[in-house]
Amino acid sequence: MLFNSLDFAIFLPIVFVLYWFVAKESTKYQNILLVIASYIFYGWWDWRFLFLILFSTVVDYSIGIALSKEHKNKQRKILLLISVLVNLGLLGVFKYYNFFIDNFTTVFSFFGNEIQSNTLDIILPVGISFYTFQTLSYTIDVYRKRLEPTKDFIAFSVFVSFFPQLVAGPIERATQLLPQFYKKRHFNYNQAKEGVYLIVWGLFKKMVIADTCANYANDIFSKYESMNSLSLLLGAIYFAFQIYGDFSGYSDIAIGTSRLFGVDLMRNFKYPYFSRDIAEFWRRWHISLSTWFRDYLYIPLGGSRGSKWFNIRNVFIIFLVSGFWHGANWTFIIWGGLNALYFLPLLLRDKNRRYLNDAAENRILPSFKELTAMLSTFLLTTLSWVFFRANTVTEAILYLKRMLSFNLEGGIQYLSIERYVPELALLILVFLIIEWHSRTKEHPFFNTFRYIKLVGVIIGIITLGNYSSVNDFIYFQF
Amino acid sequence: MKRFIQNSLKLIVLVIVLIFACDILYTAVYRNSAPRNKLQYILNTENETFDIVFLGSSRVANHIDTKLFDSLSHKKTINLGVLGAGLNDNYLQLKLLIQNNEVNSVYLQIDDNFEREYPTALGTASAMPFIRNTIIKDHTKRYFENFNTLYYIPFYRYAINDPKIGFRELFFSAVNKAPKIDPSIGYIPKYGNRPSQSGSLPKNIAKKNDILKEIRALCKTNNIELVLFISPYSSTLKNRDYIEKLKYKVPDLIDLTKGYNDSLFYNYGHLNNKGARVFTKHLYYNTQRTQKQ
Repeated sequence: MLFNSLDFAIFLPIVFVLYWFVAKESTKYQNILLVIASYIFYGWWDWRFLFLILFSTVVDYSIGIALSKEHKNKQRKILLLISVLVNLGLLGVFKYYNFFIDNFTTVFSFFGNEIQSNTLDIILPVGISFYTFQTLSYTIDVYRKRLEPTKDFIAFSVFVSFFPQLVAGPIERATQLLPQFYKKRHFNYNQAKEGVYLIVWGLFKKMVIADTCANYANDIFSKYESMNSLSLLLGAIYFAFQIYGDFSGYSDIAIGTSRLFGVDLMRNFKYPYFSRDIAEFWRRWHISLSTWFRDYLYIPLGGSRGSKWFNIRNVFIIFLVSGFWHGANWTFIIWGGLNALYFLPLLLRDKNRRYLNDAAENRILPSFKELTAMLSTFLLTTLSWVFFRANTVTEAILYLKRMLSFNLEGGIQYLSIERYVPELALLILVFLIIEWHSRTKEHPFFNTFRYIKLVGVIIGIITLGNYSSVNDFIYFQF
Repeated sequence: MKRFIQNSLKLIVLVIVLIFACDILYTAVYRNSAPRNKLQYILNTENETFDIVFLGSSRVANHIDTKLFDSLSHKKTINLGVLGAGLNDNYLQLKLLIQNNEVNSVYLQIDDNFEREYPTALGTASAMPFIRNTIIKDHTKRYFENFNTLYYIPFYRYAINDPKIGFRELFFSAVNKAPKIDPSIGYIPKYGNRPSQSGSLPKNIAKKNDILKEIRALCKTNNIELVLFISPYSSTLKNRDYIEKLKYKVPDLIDLTKGYNDSLFYNYGHLNNKGARVFTKHLYYNTQRTQKQ
C-alpha cells in the first residue's frame, strides 16, 4: 500500500479510529491492532512475503529469549551468529543471489572457464533491507546487554512490522522503539497535530517535488546520448531532488503517521542539501541508516581509534557496504566508494566534525563562504547520484563524460514529455527557499503564518501533484 | 481528541473546498482562453468549410504539411493529427468538428491504431475541461470506464491528465501564450534523423475495429468522403507483414509505405520535415490518381 494512494487514505483513518476508540483500553489491544494493521498494509502489496516477516520476527524473538537465558560467551556468540546468518541470509537470497552468480560467472569466464550461470527469477520483497536491519539491531543490542530481551511477542511483532516505517524506514533501534510498545499510548493533541503537518509536507515532497523531478530525470537519463551538457547537469540535479523528495517525503509521512498513534520515530533527514561538507551531508542524509552502520559496523571495526590507515579502511568499508546495501549493482558500490573518497580529505585533516550546527545559524542568509561550501557539497553529491541512478557503470561514466564535455549543442532542449529541460528549475528554487526558511524545524508549518503555508502547500499538492503517473517510492526497491 | 477531530474535519473541508475552487477556476480558464490545442480549436470553430481534414496520431501531425498540400490541391485543409491519439479519439474530433462546420473529405490514417477501440488519455485529455459539452459527455460516457469519476468528482479529470491540462497548461492558457504550433494548420515538423531507433508493429491483427465502422457510418450519413491511408515506416521497423494483414482487413486502404529512404525519417515511425514534404506530395498525387480511377 502506497502512502500516496487512495487505499492508504481510507486505511489510515480506519486504523486511527479503531486504535483510539476501540483498542484504547489496553496496551495489548493497541499492539494487536497495530500488528493486524501492519500485516494488512504489507500484505496489500504481496501477502506471500508476510511469512518472511513472521519468520524473521519469530527467529529474533526466540534468539532474544535464548540470549537472556544463556550466560556462556561462546553460546551467546553462536546465538548471535544464527540471527545474523538468518537475517543476512534472507537478504542474501532475495537481494544478492543473482548479483553474486552473475559476477562469479563473469570472473570465471575472464579466466577462460565457461560456467553456466543459474540466476533465479526472484522478486525482491519490499522493505526487506529495512526490517532485517531493524531486527538485527535488536539481537545485537540484547547480545551486548544494552537491552533487556522482550518476553512480549506482540510488542516485538509491532516493533518489527510497525506499518508506518516497515517498508522504507526510518530503521529504528530496538532501544528506542520497542519500549514505546510496552506502555499504553495516550492521545496527545500536539503530537498528532505535528504528525498531520509532517504527512502533508511529506506528500508535497513526494507528489510535487519527487514525482515531477522523476518525469524530467527519467527522460533525460533515458536519452542521455542526445542531450547536451546543460541538460545532463540539470538531469542529475533533478534526480538529486527526486531522490531527496521521494525518500525524505516517505520518512516524513512515516514519522507523521506514527505520531498519530502516539509513537515517536527518529528523524531521518535534516535538510542534507544545506550541508557544508560531505561529513555533514552524511549526518543529515538517511540518518537512521548512517547511525546504524556507525553503531553496528564502524564502531565494532574500531571506529576512529587506531592509525590513520585503520580509520581510512573503516570509512571505506562503511561507505562500500552502505552502497551495497542499497542494491545489488556495481553502480551502488561505486556510489559508496565515491562518497568515501569525498570523505577522505576531511578525515585526513581531522575536519570531519567541523559543521555540527545549522548553516547560517541565527541569520537569514548564508555567508559567501557557507554558500560556496554548500554548493560544492551539493555538486559532489549530485555527481555521485549519477552512479546511483544509472543502470550500469558504463552508462554512468558516459553520462558524466558527456556532461563534463561542455557541449551546448541544441541549446535549451525539449523533452519527449513536452517540457523544456530548465523549466523545472523554478519549482526547485521555490522548494529550496521553503526548505531554507524551515531549516531549523521539521516542517514549514510554524509561526503565525502556519495556516497560510498549510493552505498553500495543499493547493500545491492539488494543482502541481503528479496523479497521472503514480510512482513507487524509490527506496521500496532496497 | 475532540479538538483533533474538529481540526481534522476542518482540514478535510478545506481540501474539498479547494478542490471545487480549482475545478471551477481551471474550467473557466480553459473555456475562455484562446485555443492552444487542436481540440480547443475544433470547439471554437464555427461555420467553416474544410475541403480535407487529416485525422490520426503524431504520424499524421508530423507527416502532412498542410500548407504544401493546400498549394498543390488549392483546397482548404487542416491537420488534426494528435500525438498518441487513436481511432476513438479521432472519432470524437470528427463528431465535434462536423457539429458546427462543414467537412467534404476526411483523410484518416490507419496503422496499428486498428488494434485499439478505446480512447487514449493523450488523445482525449484536452477534451476533459469541456466534459459538459453534450457530444463529449456522451462519448465519454460510452467509451470511458471511469466516466462517473471524470464527470462527478471535481478536479479529477484535471488531476489525472496533469501533463496535458495541468497547472502549466492552465497558466499558459490564462496568459494567452501562443502555442508552439498553430492549431489551425496543425502540421508539426520533426527535425533530425535517428532511424536507428527501432520499433515494431503487432505480430497479429485484431479481427475488426468497430470504431472504424462507426467513423465510416458517420461519414456516410454526413456525405463526407473518407480516404484511408497508411504512411511510411523506416527500414528498422519489425513485423512489417502487419501492413499486408491490415490491407486485407481494410481493402480500401491506400498503402503509402514504400519508397522512403531512411534519411527521411526522424525515427522508425516518424518522418522528419524533409520526409514530410515528400510524403505530402506522395499523398496528394496518389489520392488524385485513386480518385480519377
